[in-house]
Amino acid sequence: MSLEIEKPAKQLIKPKLKKSIIDCDIHHNVRDIKDIFPYLPKNYREQIELWGTQLPDFPFMNGGLRGRMNNSYPPSGGNAGSDLQFMREQHLDPYNVEYGILTGEFPWQYASQQVDYAAALCSAYNDWTVEYWLEKDSRLRGSILIPIQDPNLAVKEIHRLGNHPGMVQVLAYGGARMPYGQRFYHPIYEACAQYGLPFTIHVGMEGVGINSAPTGVGYPSYYIEYRALRPQVYMAHLASFIFEGVFEFFPTFKVVLLEAGVFWVPPYLWRLDQDWKGLRHQTPWVKKPPSEYFKSNVYIGSQPIEETPNIDAFTSMLEWTHAKDSLLFCSDYPHWDYDSPLLSFPKLEGDLWEHIFYENARKLYKLPSRSAKQGGVVS
Amino acid sequence: MATHFVTDLISMADGQHVIVNVEGRSIGLYRINGEYYALHNRCPHEGAQLCKGKVCGTTLPSDVYAYQFGRQGEIVRCPWHGWEFDIKTGKSLVDEKVRVRSYKVTVEDGKVGIVI
Repeated sequence: MSLEIEKPAKQLIKPKLKKSIIDCDIHHNVRDIKDIFPYLPKNYREQIELWGTQLPDFPFMNGGLRGRMNNSYPPSGGNAGSDLQFMREQHLDPYNVEYGILTGEFPWQYASQQVDYAAALCSAYNDWTVEYWLEKDSRLRGSILIPIQDPNLAVKEIHRLGNHPGMVQVLAYGGARMPYGQRFYHPIYEACAQYGLPFTIHVGMEGVGINSAPTGVGYPSYYIEYRALRPQVYMAHLASFIFEGVFEFFPTFKVVLLEAGVFWVPPYLWRLDQDWKGLRHQTPWVKKPPSEYFKSNVYIGSQPIEETPNIDAFTSMLEWTHAKDSLLFCSDYPHWDYDSPLLSFPKLEGDLWEHIFYENARKLYKLPSRSAKQGGVVS
Repeated sequence: MATHFVTDLISMADGQHVIVNVEGRSIGLYRINGEYYALHNRCPHEGAQLCKGKVCGTTLPSDVYAYQFGRQGEIVRCPWHGWEFDIKTGKSLVDEKVRVRSYKVTVEDGKVGIVI
């Protein structure tokens, strides 16, 4: 006896959004670590087969189903985000994503003490991303993973892929051994500036492996605490970039801050500006108020956007975040704390929506304007 | 406008300053390279007695990680929050729009006067 399952007729998906968007944080994933084996040296393949990946892991739970929306696991099986066709049907098509920036699901090697192994994993993952994602859907763009533990090796990887038209940024994680502005990292920023690639920090790996504790007071007990305290780490990195003079060394270099929330930014910039007035002489190479460096060199991802008590508070915080020029829409698909392109923001006045959902990312990643059929302006 | 003579030329050396009271106003009188400058003794930020702040030089805008010291004796640093002001102009070093009130100083017959 056989069980016949009726397949639903293929329907053309009608976009829920009239105008297309650029989504700056989409997580593609391997079905299995073996997906990257064709790009990995044999010694590491054998090592993984014998020992597992041997990478330090995140010491917290997450939300949803292992961090993902429970309906985001592909019917074909495998990890959420591992099936391009299902990603198209569930996210790219219905939400009219004109361009999607892939950030992957492979952060653990950023916390490993095995530098050469981390470098090999980053290279393999990058090559797999190019072949299995960027070359399969023209809407997708990729992030260059780097062995950040060793800037020399990191720079090598940037040189290897910096000119690839599909690779639009260099990816780092919030977790780090030291604040990112420090000169240990400067060769990486020099290489980023050379190729016009933003350095994007995504949350993750704080307190994992060789990285520093996730907060200034050590390890919180629960995931919700860790999650709410992500801005602490980002504040440390942001101040470090400014006061170590990174944007003076590399004026065209851009930093993108993803997934630590948004509205921690305004009061923090106020604090930095205020204190700079009295302490400027200690770091005299910081030649303008810190908020000016934020405006000229820093972008911030929208997700998870804070739900304010009322719209007035939201509008005001957006303004002080300099959202019109700095905010990038991010959905974080397929993660459980996904922000809907339709409903995570209230109605925005003027061209604010256009800037946040398209224009800022277009400028940052040097992408084409929206095509006319997607609501673009026909000139 | 009236000139209020507050001190003799010979009683102030270069680099010195005094705080004087003129018609109920506290004013700092500074001598830098033979020239006199007068600042209202009130910081525009939060009202501290600015002229009780240290007269100093400062680190000039410089290359990253480099310190270039200069303007010795031309800067007053507020005792409260460390805001630096150019004694010659009263302007804040971080924002020209922020300034402490300054007064004209005249020297007549060996006496130094503040014009209010």
